[in-house]
Amino acid sequence: MTEPQVLPLVIRDLSFRYNSRGTPAIKNLNLELHSGEVLLLAGSSGCGKTTLMRCINGLIPEAYHGEMTGDILLYGESVRGNTLADISQNVGTLLQDPERQILGTYVLNEVCFGLESLGMERSEMIRRGEEALKRLNILHLRDKETFGTSGGEKQKVALAGVLAMQPKILLLDEPLASLDPASAHEALLAFRQLADEGLAVMIVEHRLEDVLAIHPERVVYMEDGEITYQGEPAGLSQVVDYHKIKLPAADVLARAKDAPETEFVPAVPPLDYSKPLIEFKEVGFRYHEDLPEVLHGVNLNVHAGEVIAILGHNGSGKTTLVKHALGLLKPTRGSVLLEGVESKSTTVAKAARTVGYVFQSPTQMLFAPTVQDELAFGPKNLGFDKETIQENVRWAIQSVHLEEELGTPPLALSFGQQKRVSIASVLSMRSRILMMDEPTAGQDYWNYQSFMDTILQMPGFDSIIFITHDLDLALTYANRIIVLFDGRIVADGTPQDVLKDTEQLLKWRLLPTSLLELNFRMFPQTGKFQRAEALARYIG
Amino acid sequence: MLVSWHYKYRGSPMDQIDPRARWIFSFAFLVAATSTWNSSMLAVLFLIAVIWYSLGRTSWKETRRGWTLVLIMLFTMIVVNTIITGGGAGGVVPEGGQLVWPEGLRLFGKLLKPGLTVDRIWFALCQLMRIGGISMFFILIPYTMDSRSYGATFSKLGLPDKLAYTIELAIRFIPSLARSFSITLDAQRARAFELDDVKGGIVRKIGRIAPLIIPVTMNAILSSEDIANAMDLRGFGQRKRTWLFELKYHWWDYAVIAFGLLIVAVSLILVYGYKLGAFTVPPFFYQLFQ
Repeated sequence: MTEPQVLPLVIRDLSFRYNSRGTPAIKNLNLELHSGEVLLLAGSSGCGKTTLMRCINGLIPEAYHGEMTGDILLYGESVRGNTLADISQNVGTLLQDPERQILGTYVLNEVCFGLESLGMERSEMIRRGEEALKRLNILHLRDKETFGTSGGEKQKVALAGVLAMQPKILLLDEPLASLDPASAHEALLAFRQLADEGLAVMIVEHRLEDVLAIHPERVVYMEDGEITYQGEPAGLSQVVDYHKIKLPAADVLARAKDAPETEFVPAVPPLDYSKPLIEFKEVGFRYHEDLPEVLHGVNLNVHAGEVIAILGHNGSGKTTLVKHALGLLKPTRGSVLLEGVESKSTTVAKAARTVGYVFQSPTQMLFAPTVQDELAFGPKNLGFDKETIQENVRWAIQSVHLEEELGTPPLALSFGQQKRVSIASVLSMRSRILMMDEPTAGQDYWNYQSFMDTILQMPGFDSIIFITHDLDLALTYANRIIVLFDGRIVADGTPQDVLKDTEQLLKWRLLPTSLLELNFRMFPQTGKFQRAEALARYIG
Repeated sequence: MLVSWHYKYRGSPMDQIDPRARWIFSFAFLVAATSTWNSSMLAVLFLIAVIWYSLGRTSWKETRRGWTLVLIMLFTMIVVNTIITGGGAGGVVPEGGQLVWPEGLRLFGKLLKPGLTVDRIWFALCQLMRIGGISMFFILIPYTMDSRSYGATFSKLGLPDKLAYTIELAIRFIPSLARSFSITLDAQRARAFELDDVKGGIVRKIGRIAPLIIPVTMNAILSSEDIANAMDLRGFGQRKRTWLFELKYHWWDYAVIAFGLLIVAVSLILVYGYKLGAFTVPPFFYQLFQ
């Protein structure tokens, strides 16, 4: 008779409450993870996914303190009393933002950091480090500086650092958040392969459709700190609220046909091509004269009435491009004109009257003692009078639904709320053009959809420009899509024109989604790209 | 993200010297230079620093930020503190002495009576050689030493692993902070904040730069937590650490270390054995102002 296999991970009645909170973040969780399987952990923001991960990898209770009950067994042994370093030999963790995880200045050093901690021989370290790099097809990065790698490469480098330690369990906390679609798909294939080779893989991810493409064995769905579904991926679509979690378009279509949404209409003014708001003329840019050019001869006009989505692979120059519009970067050749005024002859502060730019990370800008003061900062700098400032602050805070937090210090809010405050702090300046860099990154479906709906239905913007990796976001909200590839604009037009050629999309490292396919199929009826909930109006 | 200084391999003589030998020699120089005010000794040490600096083959363009900082410090210490106010010379330069302008100095039709003495000018020159020499040694490090070597070097010099890696993080903290500052500055400029507009008294000035200081500080705190977590998640501190970066002594490294120790030994013998470390002004210098 064979002995029953000891499972890599068993969680029994696990509950945890942070010291800073009155209620538990997770409650009575029971879960098993098997070798060779991919387990997808889904749920909206704040449902307890990250807390569960922290309990497994030991960050709870070592770095985050609170009250924990229940038990976690790694290969049959309770983790209680084990140090984080002990646990790390079995459990490898990949964090959401690779920039927060990378310690080494060069790729091979980064990959070997954990092996150095284990006191491994140098030759063995190099062998294992190179093996991990080879496994992820990034051996060519071996001697590159980590800082100089693209977002997608950074994610792979961080993963190689985890894999080099040869963990038996791999925890992935929103590993796709900063990746372009093709890089995300490649990363997922790598995770699948690792599971097929015997690793136990747990993925926390909002990009459900992407993960479902690698056929996870099981899906766990959490709500309010509890597991509400555990089972086959196919069953998930039937039990979760499709407003909260982004399901494949066909599933949403089937479920939404009884209560379809109305067509979404943005509040920007009608298209007006008479006078461009922003003009890029043969713009070339390099960060340093010793470094290669990152934008090459970009020509682009932005007009009133346009909602523009800028797509492109990691490192294609998207952020560099939009920073030029505000004058944060000045072209090394060519010119950028904002309402006819060349960016080289004006200041950023003056340009900020016309262009509001929301940065990716809210923590890089929030500073004021209250949300109210934070929102008043921009208008004050612009010299608005007190009444106008008050009115703008009121309007901006209502736009992001955080009225009750006006007196709260912004830095005491959750990350999602901080993001909304950072956007409101730009909205309060009442700029005519709004630019947002990855406005929905790391936010769950319900939050990002309601946020984008609100922004696009706000009156007062002549044009809205947003950078995104999310093809569905672009096709749902934009009336113009620009694709950047290696610093050049390779496509510019309506969503239906730019996204029609699948082969071309793949070359640009963009992957067609089920929503895109559905929209093309239904285009003769709809005449317009829409979200799946709204497409449901056309069936039945 | 934790970043590092912009190092590039130049194939210079400095690139051939083991980082351990470089740190030992640099600290030996520091001890020797801070042990004396003797102008002849400082001149010799300054000459050594110039030769050492030239071995790095760095350009002005790449090191100018570091030198700007040093020049501001030198200006404050030498011109303001020593020459104008005389405060920096306290305890070293004797009170009184030969005035540079005993009859006073006529400037824009007004007769001024500056208290600048010949001794203070000579002292300023000594300060210039001392601080300039030390700066040459330490400005060179980030541009000519491979950032991968920092932790391994201090560990191999006998420091505990945790301390060695802490020193590495401390060295890399400055460029990381600069990057964070630059991002925050851009984010606030996008909200029409202008650094040039910061006017008024010190309290008002501090209040006005809060939009920069607070996010940068908060990010530094948050990223230190991230770094600690990232290190813990990869088993840092569990057992005696090995280092990927390979360090190997050559004969010339021993020569550099020996020369460094010789400099310290000779300096200390001259200062404490022969009492030659005191500040003195050579007679010819007095004659120049007569």
